[in-house]
Amino acid sequence: MKVYHQTGFRQNWNIESFEQGVGDGLIYSPVNLDADKLLLLDSHLKRTGFIDPQLYLLNEAKGTLDTYPYFPGNIKPDYSTPDLDNSNILLAQMCVDFQIKNDFEYIIIPTRYYADNPTTYFAQTSDYFVIPFCDYIRASGIRKKILLSVIVKAIMLSDDEKRNEALNWITGQNVDGVYLIFEDNSATKQIKDFEFLFNALLFIQILKNNGMEVHLGYNNTEALLYSIAMPDSVSMGSFENLRSFGIKRFQDLENGPMRGPRARLYSSQLIQWVDYQYIGAFKKLITDYENLFDDSEFKPLMFKPEFNWHFLKSEPYKHYFSVFNRQIKSLPGSQTERMENIKVQIKNAVNLFKKIEDSVLLDENSDGSHLPTWFNVVNAFQKEIKK
Amino acid sequence: MAEHTEIGLVVIKRGAIKSYTSLERIKREIELLSVLKSEFYPQQYHFNIDIKTKEFEIVEDYIEGASLRESMKSFKTVEQIFTLLLSLIKGLSIIWELNIVHRDLKPENIIIRKNGTPCIIDLGIARFLDLEALTKTIAPIGPCTPIYAAPEQLINNKNVIDPRTDFFCLGIISMEMFLGVHPFDGTFLENHFSIVENILQANYLLETKHVNRDERMVELAAKTLQLQPFNRFRNYNQLQSFVLKHLNT
Repeated sequence: MKVYHQTGFRQNWNIESFEQGVGDGLIYSPVNLDADKLLLLDSHLKRTGFIDPQLYLLNEAKGTLDTYPYFPGNIKPDYSTPDLDNSNILLAQMCVDFQIKNDFEYIIIPTRYYADNPTTYFAQTSDYFVIPFCDYIRASGIRKKILLSVIVKAIMLSDDEKRNEALNWITGQNVDGVYLIFEDNSATKQIKDFEFLFNALLFIQILKNNGMEVHLGYNNTEALLYSIAMPDSVSMGSFENLRSFGIKRFQDLENGPMRGPRARLYSSQLIQWVDYQYIGAFKKLITDYENLFDDSEFKPLMFKPEFNWHFLKSEPYKHYFSVFNRQIKSLPGSQTERMENIKVQIKNAVNLFKKIEDSVLLDENSDGSHLPTWFNVVNAFQKEIKK
Repeated sequence: MAEHTEIGLVVIKRGAIKSYTSLERIKREIELLSVLKSEFYPQQYHFNIDIKTKEFEIVEDYIEGASLRESMKSFKTVEQIFTLLLSLIKGLSIIWELNIVHRDLKPENIIIRKNGTPCIIDLGIARFLDLEALTKTIAPIGPCTPIYAAPEQLINNKNVIDPRTDFFCLGIISMEMFLGVHPFDGTFLENHFSIVENILQANYLLETKHVNRDERMVELAAKTLQLQPFNRFRNYNQLQSFVLKHLNT
């Protein structure tokens, strides 16, 4: 299973990390990287990755999106949905040509984003994107694998009819796989919704049963859990908006006051990002507290008293890339063994939290309270696939 | 049936054009058959529409052989069934590649030529996925022969009709050859449901009092006779590989 860097703001951290051998490739973000700069990047940074074309909102020229030739506003000012009827073929050609020019590993068919779930979504996506993209790719004799972008909304997981519609549509497309993004609306930093996680696993499993490649985007640590459905890749990102999909990232909103999140440090043993403020308490109250966190080249610096924790500092993220990549890569190759392995990891983490909480009480975003749900999800999934 | 001085035996199909929909459907069949020059399909020679009488006339090859309905008992072993299935997949892949779904596969629409090659007839209700759908969305049931139809046809869910719909029909035909009875027949399933009801509930036979189950057929049924297309073979390459794997072992 591969691990891709989900890039965005401060993508140089991902690139630097990748160049040190962490991760299998990069997923590029047009909103954050000028098209010309992307073209100039060395081929070794692109040939094992792909671009997310980010046509989620047709008319939003967020960041550097309008530097891309296929950006709809460059085809026609004030581009809107009806324009797709006339220029979908041109858009497909420009988007495919750009991807070919960069020589990425995969060609990505984009998708649009809707806040609701319109009944015409799949038919329109076929007409506007899938058919013109596939026609052009095949007519051009392009041999690269094609991935279809799909945003899986919560209702597509919870409602059987919507789920079946989505799965029948996806598996009916003549593509090699999917770039799958689960839209998670949970208010907590870790996903604690049993039904959501269980249904997401089934969704992935069904796509794999159909012989499709499944590449998951915008993952947080639940990538570890998703791994039991045997996707082809999971992703890891730095900031929270790269570890959970939200459309705000693509909206050109008025810049209101921004509130940075508190810096956090990932622990593979705890399967949790821990608020740095607890590290001071750990130091005072837990013997060998440093052992709760993985070794990495960044750890010594971060544990120095003078380290000035801030969410814009690179070290905690680079540490996460290194540690999480290692954690994913050490998973067993067989599904059965992987499920057992993850249950053991979860149980160990739960036990560690119990010990920690003898001395230090943690809030709901640092305390591992997602872990019991995750354990139950693995058990339920294990039972389901035995049927 | 008639004899043409140059072509030989031909079949003349005449019928009433009941509506614009049926006319368009027939025209599509003709256009398709004129393109398909394959032993898996009958050759088309002539097509005429009489607007005044609202009738159509088609002249096509007479296919010598027996329908699969008539010759079903000669396909007894799994090897014989899979060999025929492989030929059908080869023939149908021609239209599937053109984004066309047959939608009315049944033993009566498959003629086994004297050399054993199946010839697939009656593409009249084939749905041309590239063109605007002709069947009315509000119709309670799509065009098909209900007892050989996939669930999505029975509930007229046109959005999900694709080659996997034909896989379902092939699954029924294969199981019928194997079991000697329709796999969704309530009489043998010992329930009181009709075949259509059983199709919609995914109740099907894997063995009878006279025929023991065969794991190859069980697997074929499990990957074709599913309610949801996403639980069937995803494309004909997968179906073909499955059949080949079991023919070669």
